[in-house]
Amino acid sequence: MSTLSFLLDGFQTALQPHNLLFAFIGVLIGTTVGVLPGIGPISGVALLIPVTASMTSGLSPEQAAASSIILLAGVYYGAMYGGSTTSILLNTPGESSSVVTTLDGYQMARQGRAGVALAIAAIGSFVAGIVALIGLVLLAEPLSNVALKFGPAEYFSLMMLGLAAVSGLAGKSMTKAWIMTVCGLLLSTIGLDNVSGVARFTYDISYLYGGLEFLTVAVGLFALGEVFKSILHNEKNDGEIAKIGRILPTKSDLRESAGPIARGSLLGFFTGVLPGAGATLASFFSYILEKKVSKHPENFGKGAIAGVAAPESANNGASGGAMIPLLTLGIPGSGTTAILMGALIMYNVQPGPLLFDEHPEVAWGLIASMFIGNVMLLILNMPLVKVFAKIIQTPTKYLLPLIIAISVFGVYAVQVTTFDVFLLLAFGLLGYWLAQHDYPLAPLVLGLVLGPMIENNMRRALTASNGDYLVFVEKPISLVLLIIAFLWIAVPMVMKLRGKSIIVNEDM
Amino acid sequence: MNKTADRIAAVAFLAIGALFMVESLRLSKSAYGSVVGPNVFPFLLGLILVLLSVKLLFETRRYAEAADEKPPRQYKKFLIILVAAILYAALMETIGYVIMTFLFLVVGFQTMAKGTLWKSVVVAAGFSLGVYGLYVKLLQGTLPSWPVWFQ
Repeated sequence: MSTLSFLLDGFQTALQPHNLLFAFIGVLIGTTVGVLPGIGPISGVALLIPVTASMTSGLSPEQAAASSIILLAGVYYGAMYGGSTTSILLNTPGESSSVVTTLDGYQMARQGRAGVALAIAAIGSFVAGIVALIGLVLLAEPLSNVALKFGPAEYFSLMMLGLAAVSGLAGKSMTKAWIMTVCGLLLSTIGLDNVSGVARFTYDISYLYGGLEFLTVAVGLFALGEVFKSILHNEKNDGEIAKIGRILPTKSDLRESAGPIARGSLLGFFTGVLPGAGATLASFFSYILEKKVSKHPENFGKGAIAGVAAPESANNGASGGAMIPLLTLGIPGSGTTAILMGALIMYNVQPGPLLFDEHPEVAWGLIASMFIGNVMLLILNMPLVKVFAKIIQTPTKYLLPLIIAISVFGVYAVQVTTFDVFLLLAFGLLGYWLAQHDYPLAPLVLGLVLGPMIENNMRRALTASNGDYLVFVEKPISLVLLIIAFLWIAVPMVMKLRGKSIIVNEDM
Repeated sequence: MNKTADRIAAVAFLAIGALFMVESLRLSKSAYGSVVGPNVFPFLLGLILVLLSVKLLFETRRYAEAADEKPPRQYKKFLIILVAAILYAALMETIGYVIMTFLFLVVGFQTMAKGTLWKSVVVAAGFSLGVYGLYVKLLQGTLPSWPVWFQ
């Protein structure tokens, strides 16, 4: 019962006119970001943090946090919608979670059914968004109640599990993923130590006392890194755009895709809840599942509507599911949620089990706004799909320098030093080089965001045990979490040794 | 995977890890009321990074020597834009946001593809003035305004 009343309060927050506007701007920009091939959801969300920070500057801290997270989350799932548009019309996925959609989506477009494919993708995303929302409402309260019983040792182990899950699945080489994670954690130690007040690795550079700003690092690595890549590789978006044609799906289209949407939503949601799995894997899994379940598996790859409906539902379900570990446990399961978490921390809102008690307005407002955002996306996407298709043709000539200018503006607006702008450019170069050589970037950002919390919990646990490191394996819950973390790394390794190929999350 | 690049990276990460280990030895060993000082966490991480780098170094031995056929890269364009961005950052506080953003964008647009100059000028002026007007005038944010010698 209390959950329901909290949810109603959340709707009250989300239905305030300015929050409706923020949700609308969020999904609109998100769809645009998803459609534009140059920027994915991660860089889109990172780029918008400073913009939202300045937009919400007139509000009270609590309201500002709620409004900006509403906008940023809108960007996140808006991008999931938008990503499908380019997959279907251009045969180039806007981001990696829509890669599978190209298989059947583009075939449908070639048969003149692009409009129907886009509509089914939007409907599937909508249904999945609602499924994820219901799951979030049902699971949030119990999960955070469990997590409330955790002490520092359990927390430390839980976060190790989060890191293990993300690093274990990210990129081609696990060694490289771990190197990136550890680098992120190391970077997080720069600045004043918040237990003892000792300055660490600052070398008397006053800008470093506050630590490396997570925003600067994230925008540099993701947004600028991608811009540099597009310039160097001379990437152009001048492919042939398919005609959209009729948009409304027929009854038989809907009947054919009802099952795939339902299965895709559920599968996506549960994949999203698992840290590290995320939207890309969810879309792959659901495509494979549909092909197995289908009576006509030979139609897949030739324009089967189920091949569009299932993965598009799954990736949206996953992005909703990924909110659960973030909001209830304070553990982001992917690069994008790590960035959302960083944004919340910037507003002094700590995601985790206490979030629902301390900042109910933020937590429930966000949940309610996800529902509203999904309705907006459906309304926005069905009639406006032709407008969004036009955005694809934005010439890179203007787009790329503008992204650099927006990044510089964003970082300067928040930090007000040119030191951070230089740092931004440096991380841009680093991000390009690292991505070019298969070093996944998401674990680094994750390490940077989780670093201070891991360290604090570790030190608190060790202080309580008088420096005895065995405390992490003596507490049963902590031990179980550590064992799961270990298995998460060990099992894929063993499978690899046996010569089995494992699916990895390329977008991480 | 590129053998040379990964070897260089592995050595670099090894150095970074070692540096953090050495430097954390200079930090205080204990915090008030706790036996675990601010040095422990970075030291352990540095150690892990060193071990991982060694692992990466060993893994590079198994890489197949791939014939490196790189597609042509637009180094010239990239360098011009990078230098422009560095100048943009360096001069922003003296010359001001609007002028530097405008100049950076015009250079950027024209470097990406030579086209009619007036179009680039219009887009660049629109963006720089638009951001300045919205952020500084409307939202009361802080950006370096006009050249220092004007004020």
